[in-house]
Amino acid sequence: MDGKRKLNIPRLVNEYRVYLILVLMLLIGTQARRYFTVLNIKSILDSTVLFTMIGSGFTLCMICGHMDLSVGLMANLGAIFAVGLHTLQGLPWAASIAVALLAAAAAGVVNGILVTKGKIHSFIVTLGMQFVLRGIVYIYCGAGEIGVSGDYALGDWLNHQLGGFPLTPKFLITLSVGAVLALILWKTRFGRNVYVTGGNRDTAWLGGVNTTATTIGAFAISGVVSALGGILFAIAQSSAAPNLGEKGISPLMVALAATVIGGTSTYGGKGSVWKTFVAVIALMAMNSALNIIYRKIEIQILANGLILAAVVLYETIVAYFAGKKAGARAQLLLERKRQIAEPSPR
Amino acid sequence: MSETNFDSNPACTVHRVRETSKFAQWINRLGVYVVVAALLIIGMAVAPTKFLSLENIRNTLQSVSLMGMVAVGMSFVVYSANFADLSAPMIIAFSGMITISSIRMGFVPAFVIGVLSGTLLGAISGFVIGKLRAHPVIWTMAYNFVLSGIVRWIYMGSQIYPDVIAPDSAAVDTFYNLSRASIPIGDFSLSWMTVVMLAMIVLGQLILKRTKFGNQLKVVGSNYEAARLSGINVTGVIITVFMIAAFCFAVTGVFFASISKMGAYYNGEGYDFRAVTAVLLGGMTLMGGKGDMIGTFGGALVMGMLTNIMNLIGVSTFEQYMVLGVAFLIIVWITTISDRKLGKS
Repeated sequence: MDGKRKLNIPRLVNEYRVYLILVLMLLIGTQARRYFTVLNIKSILDSTVLFTMIGSGFTLCMICGHMDLSVGLMANLGAIFAVGLHTLQGLPWAASIAVALLAAAAAGVVNGILVTKGKIHSFIVTLGMQFVLRGIVYIYCGAGEIGVSGDYALGDWLNHQLGGFPLTPKFLITLSVGAVLALILWKTRFGRNVYVTGGNRDTAWLGGVNTTATTIGAFAISGVVSALGGILFAIAQSSAAPNLGEKGISPLMVALAATVIGGTSTYGGKGSVWKTFVAVIALMAMNSALNIIYRKIEIQILANGLILAAVVLYETIVAYFAGKKAGARAQLLLERKRQIAEPSPR
Repeated sequence: MSETNFDSNPACTVHRVRETSKFAQWINRLGVYVVVAALLIIGMAVAPTKFLSLENIRNTLQSVSLMGMVAVGMSFVVYSANFADLSAPMIIAFSGMITISSIRMGFVPAFVIGVLSGTLLGAISGFVIGKLRAHPVIWTMAYNFVLSGIVRWIYMGSQIYPDVIAPDSAAVDTFYNLSRASIPIGDFSLSWMTVVMLAMIVLGQLILKRTKFGNQLKVVGSNYEAARLSGINVTGVIITVFMIAAFCFAVTGVFFASISKMGAYYNGEGYDFRAVTAVLLGGMTLMGGKGDMIGTFGGALVMGMLTNIMNLIGVSTFEQYMVLGVAFLIIVWITTISDRKLGKS
């Protein structure tokens, strides 16, 4: 990090790779018939709703230096509660959605408290939380699907097309949530605290950052945002299933792929929710193109996995050679990464 | 090992014992077997005649055998401080499918091919994590994604059946019997699966505690940099760890395919997280270099017994998820606290 940094093309390419990948996917799209129609672009953007929200939550926690494996189940929880409370208990939409979001926030806060106060690794906590949330979801819905019976007004409103644009309200809602999250991370004190905490928790604490509150906040926001994704997805589909969105690919996988492709550091302290958002759009654009060309879900899954693996390998190999170049400092670098990766006593 | 250090260091003992309760030390020494004992008592109270019947014990053991095998492999990964190998589900599915695809060559060659191909898959993970130092969770998750794509693409997302591939073959019958045959011990009988799991646990314990590799692994798991600087071939150790893990997953995969009488890409689903749960219940920590196979067996037993008791009481499957999750969090929390109080972490 020298002061007089020149234009470094490889670094720039790496930093903005997610846009590059998006352009690449659109280039694949030129090979598909009727790809650049309003209808197809609308369906691509619509399919991102669930994954962008889960990915944003996952990214936020990862920037904070933690891994939130429970995001997929949070989305499930939100979906089941919002649709179920409205249909089965007869609450108005506003109330049922509020309850669902609150439930997810509470689960997120529990995650955060166990991580910070209980000093258990976030991997373990969210692993356990997965079981608990799955239990709650299945108990509430009795393993069956909950359909919105008769009341399709909100779902139709979420799905209707705005003018001649390929946009729907549900996509605009997720877009604005993503933008707000990105702004919070860039501009507010909380956002800076998240980055600092993820970078090095001890330093952050010594520098006067309330790391406990920051971490709990990150987990709570992650829960709420993921639940919102699940709610929008379920209401727009008019039904909530306990294995929401798991048709072939688990949402967690897509969230992870988007986070890594978007350039978020797996050790924390670096990354961007916005790039995760763009990465999800890129993945969905690719899926749509492959779907038109091959009509096989297997090829989509393979392509998704290959891109994720390629990006992980690329990052690893770059780090490997950078470490070799740095020589003796490489071990310091690794040691630092390990310290961040492991929970330390404050 | 750390326990003996603790005892043999009088300064440490004098200083610490005063402020920690006897209870914490106790819990720490016995680990997960406290929970096993508690569950035994609960089980006997709930269903006095049924719970301790030979049939029930046999069933409980059998129900945890597959997960126990996966957990043995997972233990090596956790012990080496590499978090977890989340590519377990696809290695399980893949080795099962390869075995079934090559069943026409006869049972033994098919078994060997299936297990070897699974082990090789693990070697790739080991190389990327050991040599290139990728983040283990991220890489194995990505790898699982890729493998799932490859397996679905090869078989176009369909199931394969051994009796379709090799009709009227003796190998198929042997393959089916693999998970159904049992060994009689007096008037008690253990299924082959259970025996294999027990053998794996004993072998794993011996490897961890009695071999040069085990000692090196302990150092690598406790402090990677220290191990590297003291001349241990860390890359080799980590690659071996992932190969051992993949070997265990592959053997599980063959048994799984034998039970379900088919191979499918969703065969191993959920085994990754459940195995990690068992390993962590057994007293290993994600920081590595702590715990042993006996503990892992205890963890697997706890999960099996919890399910068994809840089934006997009549708790529904869905409520069992929740109980398991809460129990897991509480037990891990207590382990963490007692470790911290005793100054072991």
